[in-house]
Amino acid sequence: MWHTYLRPKTVEEALQMLAEAGEAAVLIAGGTDLMLDLQQGRHPPVQALVDITEIPELRALEIRGDELFVGAGVPLNRVAASPLVREHAMALAEATSQMAGYQIRNVATLGGNVAHALPAADGAIALLALDARAEVASPHGRRRVPLADLYLGPGRSALKHEEMLVGFWLPLTRQKAASAFRRVMRPQGVALPILNTAVWLAREGDRIAQIRIAVGPFGPVPRRATAAESVLCGHAPDEATLNAAVEALLREARFRTSRYRATETYRRHLAGILLRETVGKAWQRAGGE
Amino acid sequence: MNTLGRSLRRIDAADKVTGKALFPADIDLPNMAYMKILFAGRPHARIVSIDTSAAEALPGVLGVFTAKDVPNNEYGLMEPDQPVLCGPGSNKPYADRVRFVGDQVAVVVAETEEIAARARDLIQVEYEDLPVVTDPREAMKPDAPLLHPELGTNIFTHDRIRKGDVEAAFAQADVIVEAEYHTPMQEHAYLQPEAGVAFIDEEGRIAVYVAGQWTHEDREQIAHALQLPEDQIRVIYPAIGGAFGGREDMSVQIVLALAVWRLHQRGVVRPVKIIWSREESIIGHHKRHQYFMRAKWGATKEGKVIAAQVELIADGGAYWYTSNKVLGNAVITCTGPYEIPNVWVDGYAVYTNNVPAGAFRGFGGPQGNFVAEMQMNKLAEALGMDPVEFRLRNVLREGSLMSVGTPVPPGVSIAQVIEETAKAAGWRKGPEGWYRPEDADDAIWPHWNGLPKPHIKRGIGFAAGFKNVGFSFGFPENSWARVELEGDEEIERAVVYIAGAEVGQGHHTAMLQIAAETLGIAPEKVEMRVSDTAFTESSGSASASRLTFMAGHAVKGAAERALWRWQAGERPVSVEFTYKAPPTTPFDEATGFAEPNFAYGYVAAALALEVDTETGEVRVVDVILGNDVGRAVNPQQVEGQIEGGVVQALGWTLVENFIQQDGYVVTDRLSTYLIPSVKDVPPRIRPLILEYADPRGPYGARGMGEMPFLPVAPAVMHAMRHAVGVWYHDFPLTGERVLAGLEKAAA
Ligand SMILES: Cc1cc2nc3c(=O)[nH]c(=O)nc-3n(C[C@H](O)[C@H](O)[C@H](O)COP(=O)(O)OP(=O)(O)OC[C@H]3O[C@@H](n4cnc5c(N)ncnc54)[C@H](O)[C@@H]3O)c2cc1C
Repeated sequence: MWHTYLRPKTVEEALQMLAEAGEAAVLIAGGTDLMLDLQQGRHPPVQALVDITEIPELRALEIRGDELFVGAGVPLNRVAASPLVREHAMALAEATSQMAGYQIRNVATLGGNVAHALPAADGAIALLALDARAEVASPHGRRRVPLADLYLGPGRSALKHEEMLVGFWLPLTRQKAASAFRRVMRPQGVALPILNTAVWLAREGDRIAQIRIAVGPFGPVPRRATAAESVLCGHAPDEATLNAAVEALLREARFRTSRYRATETYRRHLAGILLRETVGKAWQRAGGE
Repeated sequence: MNTLGRSLRRIDAADKVTGKALFPADIDLPNMAYMKILFAGRPHARIVSIDTSAAEALPGVLGVFTAKDVPNNEYGLMEPDQPVLCGPGSNKPYADRVRFVGDQVAVVVAETEEIAARARDLIQVEYEDLPVVTDPREAMKPDAPLLHPELGTNIFTHDRIRKGDVEAAFAQADVIVEAEYHTPMQEHAYLQPEAGVAFIDEEGRIAVYVAGQWTHEDREQIAHALQLPEDQIRVIYPAIGGAFGGREDMSVQIVLALAVWRLHQRGVVRPVKIIWSREESIIGHHKRHQYFMRAKWGATKEGKVIAAQVELIADGGAYWYTSNKVLGNAVITCTGPYEIPNVWVDGYAVYTNNVPAGAFRGFGGPQGNFVAEMQMNKLAEALGMDPVEFRLRNVLREGSLMSVGTPVPPGVSIAQVIEETAKAAGWRKGPEGWYRPEDADDAIWPHWNGLPKPHIKRGIGFAAGFKNVGFSFGFPENSWARVELEGDEEIERAVVYIAGAEVGQGHHTAMLQIAAETLGIAPEKVEMRVSDTAFTESSGSASASRLTFMAGHAVKGAAERALWRWQAGERPVSVEFTYKAPPTTPFDEATGFAEPNFAYGYVAAALALEVDTETGEVRVVDVILGNDVGRAVNPQQVEGQIEGGVVQALGWTLVENFIQQDGYVVTDRLSTYLIPSVKDVPPRIRPLILEYADPRGPYGARGMGEMPFLPVAPAVMHAMRHAVGVWYHDFPLTGERVLAGLEKAAA
């Protein structure tokens, strides 16, 4: 299917390979999305694959200054098992531990999950709620962009061909703040979810001081449910507020019926359940009790 | 030396684990060419013309073959109603029609797989679409489009059972339960998609390496279509990556042989290989039948079922395959392992433009037993009677008359199987019969410790089941084996020849154990030579839970005879033996009167599940599966069959969803046709291996490979009833379907 398999050892080397090969080359990490897309003809044929999994910078997972850095090439199983991720980004730990099956998680990466740009990608949804910034390397230098700016449409990322994801920067956890993630799918572990929800919130007394909610698939690209966020922000998550938040979320959502996965009606039903549960869980975790 | 009953390590284990074992796709021969098949891709049409010129002109193409190249353009395990290749110029009427998306239209052989694929795409086929019918109930109507016009109807089998007087019995019944059910299609999803290599062997025969279930039947069907004598065809099974009934009918066998033969006639002597993709496999082979069923049963307040009336409509898809036999089993099992004095059954197998339906583990038994067990659990509830106690008041016992008017074959153990399974699940026998104490749960279902959240509901379900072992309805059932002994004072080596297919179930290991046991020698001294029609006669198919029973008899018989000669001083010894099963008879057309089977397997299941009433998710947490296997030749393999059967049945019940729209397969790959993953396997499956010897079985063994599948779906529905108060008549139980049921019940 391809003629050249390249194994750069640095980001710069990888960028150079991409630049030299032009459109005929693409990045490969775990290959769990890419290989299927190539095989099933959803991705145009390629001449060269540039494997980024031997670049140490992309395999890093550590605290840097007052942020948590998760390399784009870290396999999901490492993300899920990391005590740092559990401490600072519980929603991401919960999301990555439920994605796919064990063998897939040994090779699949967070960078691949984000770059593949599916609206229900579990990793991307968790990162959105956690306010992650993506570090993008291009021939012109590096920049950090909010995750939401990475998407153009279903399966289409805003990354240019000669660019790559280096990793994700997440704020460290602080007092009275926490996150949670849940998804519904069937059967376990071999497909994208029917619906997922990630929530991050900060408490102030018995009110929600700040909240971020991401739901997938919510529309054509991964994005936050801002209307529901506004309803909840500044209020206690009591029954009435939660009801209003669910209503706001449903007004904003653009759920669809997929022929073999689920109907729009079922997704609308689940959206309320997942929202209540993840808000409740994050709220409890943030309370420290 | 006791070899029988030991969990001997499988003789194929090391090779399969290390990758040494060759599956058909792994076999490469020198100078090999590659084949691709052009599938119809449309559900019903007449082929007006096929233009292969562009394909043939492509450099690297060795041959393009269509209907006109098939000497006798028909095949089929039961009835040859399917063209090998659909198109004009055939020797059979109506062979120019395609009747489902997976019908084969042309085959291309080329130097590489890529060239073959490109050439296939260059073939121009002009179709004239015909009206499509996909619901068998519609297809039964007189004005429905006909799939096989020469028959004048789409109903190709109608079985009847008329025993006693159901109407009179209904009038006497204290309770009557009536319902409609639907059981869905299912894809086999074996690990290994279809593949094969054909070549001309050293004796000039057309030889085919392929994964099937019955070497000699494959050979016969190839010979039939090619109009060649059978001894000019050779079929060899290398390692087979699962079958479950899905390899009983032809896939690549005939077209591979056809291509090699036609090329050979043109002086091109090249082996030809084909490997189907998963997508080709899913449209290319048959499925489990969907059944539409109606039942009306009546019982007295003493807990006796006195009448059962059932209608079964099986969607046979485009061709016959084994639908008539599958239907026969469903007709027998749809009244359960119970003695019911008045029975009325109508069963129909109907052509539609769906993917054909055929053999799949259970072979009509899962559908038949589903109706029976649903009706039994509902009747027990209507009578306020414990479901175990109610079953035991009605079960078949030695000498009981079956619905077909003849006694059940000897060795009836369904009562014991139900009792043992129920006991393991916490049932007790009191002065008034069997009951389940209130406090049974926590001790029995350890995964239930702790109180669930309010929206999680728990339920326990029970069901039983039975099914025939071996071919039925008058098919002359036999199995061949040869045993050779070498040595001087002692037997140093025994060689066992059999053709039975090792489809992953452990057949060859089991036969080695029976040979070693019979000969009284260490298993290491036995060598197996298997599954090549060049040096074996027919052992019959790996189906109908029959191989241990049938081939076990053949190997035991040959080994016994070999030993007699050995003891008489003969050196070396070579003995062939063919075991012939007790005869059976077909249904009487008017009444169903028959002796359809010579042996049955009996099974029961109790299971515990949790339902999330918010999302509709169902999680089975524990399964107890009691199965009478007569004698466990290799207990570990029996456990493997039980665990595998339970998981496959849970897939059918909860997860798998084969969707067709107007005859097109929507779920044509494993990312859309979802099967259970390891995360869907219940935390506990407890095989309860029971050994009530079958008086007719070798060393008392009974067939068992299909049995564990049978009681799972109805046990799940019973548990759902307990958990959320709803009887589900339709599955798979997707979250959506569960919620819809809850809503309907609330309204
Ligand atoms: C059986 C199965 C189950 C799955 N289950 C889930 C699931 O439950 N939830 C879920 O969200 N997903 C699931 N997936 C999808 C997939 O596994 C994930 O999206 C995974 O995270 C992709 O990572 P990867 O490293 O394999 O990406 P690859 O396939 O290597 O790459 C995917 C895309 O990203 C690009 N890319 C990779 N790395 C970079 C980089 N550093 N910078 C820029 N572009 C890059 C590639 O060029 C390619 O276009 C499943 C897939 C399979 C096969």
